[in-house]
Amino acid sequence: MNIKSYVNLYELLALNPSTREENRAFGLTHVMLKNKPIEQLLAWVEKHQGRLKKPLLSDTFSSYLYRVTFTLVVIAFVLGLVSGVALLSYHGHEPVNVIYFMAVAVFLPLLTMLLTFFAMLRASSAENVLIHLSPAFWMEKILGFLPGKVQEQIKGLKINPLLANWIIIKRSQIIVLFFSLGLLLALLGVIVTKDIAFAWSTTLHISPEVFHGFLHTIAFPWREFAPSAVPSLELIEQSQYFRLGDKLDEEMIAHASQLGEWWKFLACSTLFYAIFLRFWIFIFAAFGFSSAIKKSLLTLKGTSKLLREINEPIISTHANKSEKVFVSGEGNYSQIVNTLDASYDGIQGWAIPYDELLVLGEWLKIIAPVHYEVGGSNSLEEDTEIVFKSHGEILLFVKAWEPPTMDFVDYLNELTAKVDKVIVVPIGTVENHYDTTDKEIDVWENKLSMLGDRKVWLKRSSAKALSGEAQNAES
Amino acid sequence: MPSRREVDFVYPKFAVVGHPNKGKSSIVSALALDDSVQISDTPGTTTKKRSFPLTVDGKVLYELFDTPGFQRARKVLAWLEKHDVPANKKHEVVQAFIDTHKEDKRFNDEIELLEPIMDGAGIIYVVDGSQPYGEEYETEMEILRWTGQPSMALINHIDETDYSEEWKRALEHYFKMVRTFNPMQTNFEQHRSILESMAQLKEEWIAPLKASIKLFKQYQEQMLERSASLIARLVYESVSTVVKLPFYTHKVSEEEREKIESNYKDRLRELEVTTQKHIEKIWNHDHLQKEEKVLTFEGMDLFSEETASVFGLTRKELLITGVTSGAVTGAGIDLLFAGHTLLLGGAIGALVGGTGAYFGFNELSEVKVLGQTMGKRYLEMGPMENRNFPYILLGRAMYHTMKVAQTSHAKREVFDIEMDQTFKEKWLDDTSRKSLEKYHKKFRSGSALKAEELKEYEAIIKRILKHLIDA
Repeated sequence: MNIKSYVNLYELLALNPSTREENRAFGLTHVMLKNKPIEQLLAWVEKHQGRLKKPLLSDTFSSYLYRVTFTLVVIAFVLGLVSGVALLSYHGHEPVNVIYFMAVAVFLPLLTMLLTFFAMLRASSAENVLIHLSPAFWMEKILGFLPGKVQEQIKGLKINPLLANWIIIKRSQIIVLFFSLGLLLALLGVIVTKDIAFAWSTTLHISPEVFHGFLHTIAFPWREFAPSAVPSLELIEQSQYFRLGDKLDEEMIAHASQLGEWWKFLACSTLFYAIFLRFWIFIFAAFGFSSAIKKSLLTLKGTSKLLREINEPIISTHANKSEKVFVSGEGNYSQIVNTLDASYDGIQGWAIPYDELLVLGEWLKIIAPVHYEVGGSNSLEEDTEIVFKSHGEILLFVKAWEPPTMDFVDYLNELTAKVDKVIVVPIGTVENHYDTTDKEIDVWENKLSMLGDRKVWLKRSSAKALSGEAQNAES
Repeated sequence: MPSRREVDFVYPKFAVVGHPNKGKSSIVSALALDDSVQISDTPGTTTKKRSFPLTVDGKVLYELFDTPGFQRARKVLAWLEKHDVPANKKHEVVQAFIDTHKEDKRFNDEIELLEPIMDGAGIIYVVDGSQPYGEEYETEMEILRWTGQPSMALINHIDETDYSEEWKRALEHYFKMVRTFNPMQTNFEQHRSILESMAQLKEEWIAPLKASIKLFKQYQEQMLERSASLIARLVYESVSTVVKLPFYTHKVSEEEREKIESNYKDRLRELEVTTQKHIEKIWNHDHLQKEEKVLTFEGMDLFSEETASVFGLTRKELLITGVTSGAVTGAGIDLLFAGHTLLLGGAIGALVGGTGAYFGFNELSEVKVLGQTMGKRYLEMGPMENRNFPYILLGRAMYHTMKVAQTSHAKREVFDIEMDQTFKEKWLDDTSRKSLEKYHKKFRSGSALKAEELKEYEAIIKRILKHLIDA
């Protein structure tokens, strides 16, 4: 797992290359990865990587990172080399003060490692000043500003701040490591090519005994197996110097050959503090970086949805086919009856019992010689017989709330073949005093307009109107 | 070896049948959680049977069929009754009817509804309990009895009037189980209860339907989790959103300030609308028509800030860069003098670099190199500093999700999402506010969000949502 995996996943999530079903199928075929989200994501990326546009953004980005890092590493190495040479510059007039070299090879690494440690602790913060202090951060910003094709390509790529911080932390360690290597090389080079008289000098009142104790502590990692790389008290006493008088101590000149012994201590200090410890910090940063990639993979937009799709069973309740529906036109029936006559040749009720028909006739003051219940529990033969007996104008009551079925249509067709006129009267329930709603009447009007039979008429008025008609008939 | 058709027979099937326009499709829509079913006041809208299988990873647990209503029931029964057969042969007559009339358009609806029944589906006979019972229904029930399949009746309450009792008395003559069901007010408990009743129709259906009930519970959990996840993302993105508008003049005009404010508000509204759409999809309410007030920003002071960058570095970053590079340069001078400068070079370098970067930021941003300005100036708005905003957004999202989750899939009218004033008190107590505030603070800070933190935030939202939906 590396930065490429992150960028590939970032791109693939934006591309959304697979359906929910495909993702679930992936989950089912990779059961051994269940409960291992990172492994699942990586395997998913591997599966769909082929769908990404070439050259891969991940390749472009990682090679950009590599090039920037390489440039910075070369600069740091040269800087380390130059710094080492500068720190060890010796013209024979006065010895080289080891404290300067120690400042760069021991104290500066310890300080920067401490800062790195704090930077690691606060790596999740987007505005991390400690990260901003790193040359790797601003050098990249400046390089990023320079015009170039790569910059254009990676402009849109949004890296998680945690990951971006860890990239800088890790990269800073490599850069500083190479600076230290440059420093060590400079030390070894200068030692080989020059005779250097090292000494130590400070304004502070530090006795050689105290300084010896201090150096003894610094040399704790190697003092047991390389005692010659720890300056002795005698050497420390001999190499202390003061610039006052611009003249070297006679004692120092007498032991000039011994003053060079310091190099072993300086080399070991550089090796341990600037290189060995830095290397471990780098390893630590590499782990942190790897963990940041894992965390960042999980925080990418779309990751949790993808993991859900991979791991959760697809529960579906939907129809597997789209629906074919019958769309009826808006009925606008022209054969509408507004008022009923006082008598008809017959009153019939579709699924309305005989007794109720009598009550209805009474209530509406409509006289008819015959009343028949049709449809409902009648057999087809019974209905045919009623049709056979029917003639003239028929008033056909229907339950307004029951939509007209084809059974009704068949009967109506039979009836109209025999009689002169059929007036369909939708009525409401007894509880509603036979009142109907406009919606119910519309359903009937629609159906009748679809039939288009010249003999069929529709009584389109509510029960209130019907009852008004009844009262008029009475008066 | 059993054929595929025989293997498929293992899972239970149910055909929802009845008179036209009695709410069969509403019931199917509610039970299948599918709002795409055509529901209309016009009878005969459904002309073909339609299958609604409950599947888990493609495996069918049960299948529900929406069917057209009976159209020529008396003619069908007359045909059946012409065949004088003992009870154990009656289903064969029904099958013979289907085979004989398969191409007869007159019986299209009857064939469509009888086919799944003869294929082994249990019968769910739907009647409208708000309208009086009529004898004509007996013909339909008699046909269903001829099929010999296990059956139950559902009394559908379409409106307020109640004729359930007279329906029950009639239906009990024909069906071993009669239940009432209002598809417009269905909830998980009601749904479960109907599935339990369906399971009772046949012994071998008990296990798959119990599994289905369990699955529906899991499904609801999934929907809750996914909604909570989307809401958490919405709040996080809305609070942390930063909108930038580059400008090229010395002073920002009022128009530019208005523009960035409008862009910022539009962005937040767009995030909310997108999330709502996704949540509706999660709850299978893709066709929901709703009326809702847009997100407003009343009483929120939205400030736009002028910012700039040089080499892509902000003023702060350039300041640190200046200090560091100054210090490095100074330290180089110190080295050249072999430390005789007492590291003053580094200190002075840092001071000069820092001061220069701070005060020279604006000038530097206008310097042109190879025809390109080194700096960019822009207006910036966000992240949202108003502490109440996340709660307003959360409240709206919770209310919307609660309404969507509680709405039956059989509803087709326009849905009014008007949050009442008491809702805030209902969902946000002091404990919840305290636990949510911790995350809102983090969202505002712009710090990288850990996956676990977002998960914790989601869990709080899910807990509140569950409480609201179940209440």
